[in-house]
Amino acid sequence: MANTTRAAAGEEVILGLEDVSVSYHGDITILDHVNISARKGMVTGIIGPNGAGKSTALKTLYGFLKPSTGHIRYKGESLNGKPPYTFIERGIAFVPQNRSLFGDLSVQDNLLLGCWVFRNDAVRVKRVLDSAYAQFPILGDKRHDPASSLSGGQQRFLELARALALEPEVVLLDEPTAMIAPKLSREIYDFIKALPEKGITVVLVDQNVRQCAAVSDYLYVLELGRNKAEGGKEMFEGDSALHKLIAEWLEYKID
Amino acid sequence: MMTTLLIQALVTGLILGALYGLIGCSLTIIYGTMRIVNFSHGEFVVAGCFAVLMFFTATGLHPLLSIPLVFVAFFLVGMCLYYLFVPRLNRGDDPEVASFLTFYGVSLMAGAILLYFFQADTRSLNYVFTPSVYKIGHVFIPTAHIVALATGVAIIAALTWFLYRTIYGKALRAAIMNRDAIQIVGVNINTLSALAFGLAIAIAASTGVLLALVFPAFGPFSGMDYTLVGFVVIVLGGLGHPIGAIIGGIVFGIAEQVAIVFLPQSLSQAVGFIILIAAITLRPSGLFGKVALR
Repeated sequence: MANTTRAAAGEEVILGLEDVSVSYHGDITILDHVNISARKGMVTGIIGPNGAGKSTALKTLYGFLKPSTGHIRYKGESLNGKPPYTFIERGIAFVPQNRSLFGDLSVQDNLLLGCWVFRNDAVRVKRVLDSAYAQFPILGDKRHDPASSLSGGQQRFLELARALALEPEVVLLDEPTAMIAPKLSREIYDFIKALPEKGITVVLVDQNVRQCAAVSDYLYVLELGRNKAEGGKEMFEGDSALHKLIAEWLEYKID
Repeated sequence: MMTTLLIQALVTGLILGALYGLIGCSLTIIYGTMRIVNFSHGEFVVAGCFAVLMFFTATGLHPLLSIPLVFVAFFLVGMCLYYLFVPRLNRGDDPEVASFLTFYGVSLMAGAILLYFFQADTRSLNYVFTPSVYKIGHVFIPTAHIVALATGVAIIAALTWFLYRTIYGKALRAAIMNRDAIQIVGVNINTLSALAFGLAIAIAASTGVLLALVFPAFGPFSGMDYTLVGFVVIVLGGLGHPIGAIIGGIVFGIAEQVAIVFLPQSLSQAVGFIILIAAITLRPSGLFGKVALR
């Protein structure tokens, strides 16, 4: 398999899809024998046009969708058929594209639910809350306000803070800057870029090809539910073949 | 004279309303958490009435002391029902309609089981408090009503504490707000739903115990009335809002009782439904419903 070449170069694959197909209602195939490998301590980007299956790939990596072929593999273990809540117990956190906050609950309660897996460990819960508030002071200021009263950007930071509350090994991010103001988007990308330094592996799905390429260490290109291309950052710099290819089918100007 | 009647109606309405509120609250916990329309909810209220009758005639146990027993027994019944029906329903294309039909079936079945064991005659719980009536000013309030109200309020307080102060209650409310998102924080939605179903059936049956104290007669077929009341109350209070349902219940109870004072008996029953239709027309999201966070 093509995607094992980099793993062979000494980079450990922590979470991945191996030859995975996914279909809705049994007949509409969304993913067609897709391979994706998230390497430890790296940001792995998934890009492609609308309908390429990017979000489906991410949902499958979190166990929301069941593969009809192949395996979801985490640290060597196949997670096929495991319910989503067991993914987070293993250290895989997911921030979906749609708002995933509990609007009537306070900011603090949203974070507390992010600590569900270790809810009986009061010391750890307190440590996690303190560190979330230190990292995002605005959340600390508004801890007693309902989550629905936050601005769009603040809600996104709360979702990120809640996902990190688990102290996960892998974070799956689906369009983290969709519908977010440009200034906040930059903050979010900076935040994502810094995650590997904390030992967190990132899988990022993004419509914004240029930003995704800038943040990612390795990129997968999906098209119509199939692997189209993949490569390291260097493939997106200068006038490379892949660069051209993407520019063509997205009809974007990347630079 | 009219004032006395009115005060009497307000007091009775408050008491019945609190109990209606509990029926609606438990119904909305089921609907909110798992989008299941439990059309058999009233049968479990009636089953609670029969359970206290059975305990009382067999052992002479004080009716209030049977509440914990009824609660635990029906909690387990609810959990079993959940695992028997709901996970299968959720795999279908239209779980809400399928659940409506399934639980309509459960309703008929539960009515038939009650009929088999207790016959069609209406029964009553022959427990008399001493003194049987308190007189406050010109208003007479049966002791049973006061006890039922106090117990009902205690159950509401405990439930509110559970829903708003414990992590499990918060998870339950979170599941009502966003069933997908609760799974990404690591909650096992199946276990949570089963517990919610058990809790709701336990509350319904415990409310039945209190209703047996308040209403002189109940029969195997009284369930449908309570189911309807439950639905009215949750529409009034806002779908998926447990505490809104309590308030909705009190509004409905008071409206019903005050209507009895001013209107002929036959018309007064329509008042609750007039309020329902008015609520749907004027405030479709209910008194406490909110537009969901996207």
